[in-house]
Amino acid sequence: MSTTPPRIWISNETPAQGEVVRIRAQIVHPMETGFRIDAAGQPMPENLLQGFQAHLDDDLLMEWQPETAISQNPYIEFTFAARRSGALRMVWTDQSGDIATVTREITVGG
Amino acid sequence: MTSFAEMRRRQLLLTGAALGAGLAAVAVPFPARAQISTIAEPQPDDAESDRLAAQFLDGQQPVNEGLVLELPALGDNPAAVPLRVHVTEAMTGDSFCEEIIVLASRNPLPLACRFRFTPMTGSADVAVRVRLIQSMKLRALARMSDGRVLQAKGEITVAAGGCGM
Repeated sequence: MSTTPPRIWISNETPAQGEVVRIRAQIVHPMETGFRIDAAGQPMPENLLQGFQAHLDDDLLMEWQPETAISQNPYIEFTFAARRSGALRMVWTDQSGDIATVTREITVGG
Repeated sequence: MTSFAEMRRRQLLLTGAALGAGLAAVAVPFPARAQISTIAEPQPDDAESDRLAAQFLDGQQPVNEGLVLELPALGDNPAAVPLRVHVTEAMTGDSFCEEIIVLASRNPLPLACRFRFTPMTGSADVAVRVRLIQSMKLRALARMSDGRVLQAKGEITVAAGGCGM
């Protein structure tokens, strides 16, 4: 697995109560479909990102199940309504298990 | 007027650039890459996509409003076509979007991805990039917590197959 950390953009880490926060995140991953045949005529083993979850502390905000159609270096953009402060934890999982976790503090202001 | 020395310097620079490009080509295994092929075949029709949609609908009639599927008119890079799906109505604790699927009707595997949300999300607005093997119809379906299924359809022309990449 690549050691490049996921790239994250957060619209506002100190949102107002109820403000919709937008997150853009991209991870380096080959997303090998299993459909490709290498130069030696051997099938290239499937290696797909299988899951992405975003939690605020222990509450699940959203879950994404990428399939074969998702592009290499998967990009995900999602939103959530900031109702309270907490640690926004994003976890990427592929066929080898959890491969990356990024945590950002979200502080809901007045 | 350009001196001979200057002309010679330019020639050297050009030669150096060409050599550099040559070395780069050697470093990257282009010959091997060129031979990588794919066994991916597009779906011959919309049957598999329709089957997946029917499975998600589970007997419901889809509502053709409240969900938006945004696609570019032309997928200039079929290996990464940006798409966005969002539910337009406000999310409350009682009425929220539980799940969204995106179907790319002619892809070898039409189910492109699935999203799940919770009452905590407070919004259902997602964007990803997909690979598309050919020009096709796309469809997004969203199941709301009250049982309604919202539907949005789109169609896209792509330049060439992106699934083998």
